Amino acid sequence: MSIAQSSDAPASAGDVVSGSYSPVVQAAGLSPAAARTSRLFDLLVVIAVVLLFTGAIHLHVMLLAGDWDMFIDWKDRQYWPLVMPVVMVMFPAALQAVFWSYFRLPIGATVGAVCLMLAVSITRPMQFMLWTDYPLNLVLPAQMIAGALVMDVMLLIFRNALFTAIFGGFAFAFLFYPSNYIILAPYYVPAAHQGMMASMADLIGYVYPRSATPEYIRIIERGTLRTFGDSASWVSALFSGFICIFMHYGWWKLGMLMSRTTFLPNNRKVMALMGIKSERSSQAQG
Amino acid sequence: MTHPIRSWLHRAALLVLAALVSLPGMHDARAHGERAQEPYLRTRTVQFYDVQFDRAKIAVNEEFTITGRFRLMQDWPDAVSLPDTVYMSAYSPGRVITRVESYVNEVPARQSFADLQPGRDYAFRLVLKGRVPGSHHIHPMLSVKGSGPLVGPGVWIDIGGSRADFRHEVRTMTGETIDNLENYGVSRAIGWYGVWLGLAALWLAFWLVRPLLIPRWIVLNKGREDLLVSRRDLIAGIALGITVIGLTLGGYAYAKKSYPYVVPLQAGTSKVEPLPDQPSTAQVKVIDATYDVPGRAMRIKARITNTGTEPLHILEFTTANLRFINREAPGADKAVLPGAPTETVARGGLSLSDASPVAPGDTREVTLEASDVLWELERLVSFLTDVDSKFGGLLFFVSSAGERQHVEIGGPILPTFTRL
Repeated sequence: MSIAQSSDAPASAGDVVSGSYSPVVQAAGLSPAAARTSRLFDLLVVIAVVLLFTGAIHLHVMLLAGDWDMFIDWKDRQYWPLVMPVVMVMFPAALQAVFWSYFRLPIGATVGAVCLMLAVSITRPMQFMLWTDYPLNLVLPAQMIAGALVMDVMLLIFRNALFTAIFGGFAFAFLFYPSNYIILAPYYVPAAHQGMMASMADLIGYVYPRSATPEYIRIIERGTLRTFGDSASWVSALFSGFICIFMHYGWWKLGMLMSRTTFLPNNRKVMALMGIKSERSSQAQG
Repeated sequence: MTHPIRSWLHRAALLVLAALVSLPGMHDARAHGERAQEPYLRTRTVQFYDVQFDRAKIAVNEEFTITGRFRLMQDWPDAVSLPDTVYMSAYSPGRVITRVESYVNEVPARQSFADLQPGRDYAFRLVLKGRVPGSHHIHPMLSVKGSGPLVGPGVWIDIGGSRADFRHEVRTMTGETIDNLENYGVSRAIGWYGVWLGLAALWLAFWLVRPLLIPRWIVLNKGREDLLVSRRDLIAGIALGITVIGLTLGGYAYAKKSYPYVVPLQAGTSKVEPLPDQPSTAQVKVIDATYDVPGRAMRIKARITNTGTEPLHILEFTTANLRFINREAPGADKAVLPGAPTETVARGGLSLSDASPVAPGDTREVTLEASDVLWELERLVSFLTDVDSKFGGLLFFVSSAGERQHVEIGGPILPTFTRL
């Protein structure tokens, strides 16, 4: 029996007004009752997606970018604008592929960015502040919402994975630095401490000791990129944008691969893997 | 017969039940894992000595100072990196204290130091401030790149008062006075997070209020994509994109204007000379060393030569913050300085086969016995399982006039599992 045949109840005026019997529902051939059930299904999926990807994206970013996102005195001009977008673009690209390819929803990147923001909104106060006494300004996270929104808009405009990777992936990385600089600019104001100059971020990192994170662990502007003076961060942002084009395309493909529907044959081998004994072996044991 | 899945469920339920039952018995973890460090790291890398805490009881916002010295051992283990890059700090359970100032040989230690020299001594001074009330175990600590944090002896610091009273005032080089560093920039950051989240919420709501998954999937499979993404959606998307880019670039320009004087994060290492080399009139050659497992005693047979003009008494053997003091030596009663950590001072002291002073020009073989349960408590006996079973430490001498000097000793060590 098809979904459209699950209920014969006619659409009420309320259904039409509330949008649950929109042209999309009509074209889908869903009855009002089926449309209401599908809405409940939507809600369950949204909850599952938020819970799953809040955890997954947070784990992913913390494992791959870790200290760069955790600590204010790691957010330098060279590596931070380079490493963070490259790490952050992965899940949003995969989510874009799934949401767009199966549902034509240009929201995948935004969902990923919001999930990460939700995760850090929980972990920074709970794990860092409440549990281990960090001040919030030492553990301020970066946000990727600005880049993610533009990446979703690029997908909506181009409706194509390759062009979204080229323009959206690049924009995602390139906007990362300026959209976060708005938040972090006060932490680059200089202060004098023990006769040496320190940015406020350095000073916060110094004042609140991290026993297992000595100062030398930080990776701050190694190499010769500072030849570009104040523009080091823009050079990093450009390079990050270039890498994100490829990262986006690769993770789009990975998203498609991981969301492919496959079926396992219901044979003895699969049953054994599930811990279910076949009737014949049960009888033999009995 | 029980179904396998049901059996696993039973086991999982039992585990959860066990965890719940054990919860009330849990205690705060107050140690920092320093005893878990491999003994070869603690006995053969950094030897802290003369460590003093000027106060053990303070209020929130009050300062206290840790001073002391450390020796970088000449016989540095091959398994870890040399002290080419180090960082001097305090070890605390979380940020219950804050750092005000720190120095190595009076050179500011906000940044790391490069190229410290094994076989030489350094002095440190840490000025710290109480932040979180409670009783906290605080240590000096030297982190060595490639070796990890190497912890000195600690004391319990009692911090009274209210955490809400904590303040750390800072004056920037642009003339701004910040009342409390830990709130600096927080409201601005939260405001901007709110702006970005608000825009994202609008975009998500724009799509999520419509029929979502099943209808869209069916319609897409029917080839009616035109129903799913309309011209109105495209215009809304473009408007959002322009808004985001405008907000980003406008916000960036505003931040640049608001904070015209900014500097990059400051990194790089400082250099510091070691303390002047102290010429020692005692020459010590370790003949053999054993660790008596059931007796919890280290016995070191050493040949000691006094090349000076004053008789020398063996005052103390120290390794991995354990202190074994010869009670019969002159000045032994003052060996533990005021405010020095006492948790790791062995009650039994240091026993000698011959406690008489070594006369000038004399050479003598002496057996030192450092016996105490602290070897077990500090988990130092597992050094017998190291790949290179060696020990290290400092041997302190004192002249009759009270002048103190120290010599680094070390060498192979043999375990003995029964009393010899």
